[in-house]
Amino acid sequence: MKQRNRIVLAIVILLVFVAVILGVDWMRRMSTNNPTGTVTPLPAGSIPILLNGDLVAGFVPADLDKMKKVSFTDAAEGKLQDGWLLRDVLLLHIAAEHLTPDAVITITSTSRGKTAELSWAEVQDQANMVMFDLSNRGTLKLVSQLPKLDMRDEWVQDVDRIEISSP
Amino acid sequence: MKERYFSTFQLILMALFAALVVVAKIALKLPLQLPGHSGLFWMAILVVSARVIPKRGAASIVGLTSGLLAAFLGLGDFGALDTLLSYTLAGVGVDVTVFFLGSPENLAVAVLAGLFGNMAKFLVKWGIGLVSGAPLGFVALGLARSLVSYIVFGALGGLLGGLTLIALRKAGFFTYLEEKR
Repeated sequence: MKQRNRIVLAIVILLVFVAVILGVDWMRRMSTNNPTGTVTPLPAGSIPILLNGDLVAGFVPADLDKMKKVSFTDAAEGKLQDGWLLRDVLLLHIAAEHLTPDAVITITSTSRGKTAELSWAEVQDQANMVMFDLSNRGTLKLVSQLPKLDMRDEWVQDVDRIEISSP
Repeated sequence: MKERYFSTFQLILMALFAALVVVAKIALKLPLQLPGHSGLFWMAILVVSARVIPKRGAASIVGLTSGLLAAFLGLGDFGALDTLLSYTLAGVGVDVTVFFLGSPENLAVAVLAGLFGNMAKFLVKWGIGLVSGAPLGFVALGLARSLVSYIVFGALGGLLGGLTLIALRKAGFFTYLEEKR
């Protein structure tokens, strides 16, 4: 086969890869949106927010337009982390009376088996930069400047649940 | 005595390229918030290694070695397995492309080699996410954006590698290598 034909074939293979990846993602979104023929309340990829065990809201992509973007350079790798403050996400969906300084906010990644527990006082202080950054594959990653959450191993990647325990 | 597949000189070159991949990953940070942008330097190094060491599997070994180094250094957001596989498969992607398309001194081949190398890295991250049950991307077009970014930076990295090879040829580097042989 001529090299020109092989290059064209390589481009076709690339397009097939792209189509397969986007097709699988689209099918996953469809099945999540409509698992049993009924529409679930949260769009695919959204993060459920639970208050004392009850589902009260979801962090959905449309929320991003209502929040200010923030950024900081992490101490671990000198990399710019930019995204949305967890404080702003919670204030969008949870009534202020539930967010007492000792309320515990748990951020979970089921697939990675990781959780981070933070008090509202920690989350509320903007200097701590408790925020979500978009990872390379488009999932949310919890990062912060708090000593307990400022290293890569301590970050919570692929976040899929936010839970608030309010006394 | 049976001749070794890689000479000692080539093994040293591969180790140096592997170290260069890791150093580039740590030291050369572009102020870009775009996924896969590290492929710009990474793929350039892999494409150059695939030509400078003209044996099948050279880029794969550079990828594997750099993956081992990076895993031990704790690089990567998604753990050691993801790091090791993505570095290795990036090398395999470059090797396979060069094997089918010919020398990366041809700029079109270099671009495609870089592109497939970076795509292999993307596939590993995406595949591991799929297998581990990672949630869907938060933003609906996040995956498509990532994909485009990986493709663009992989292609640019390949182009940079191809231009480096042309510069090396002009400087007489390949003649020097022939004489060494």
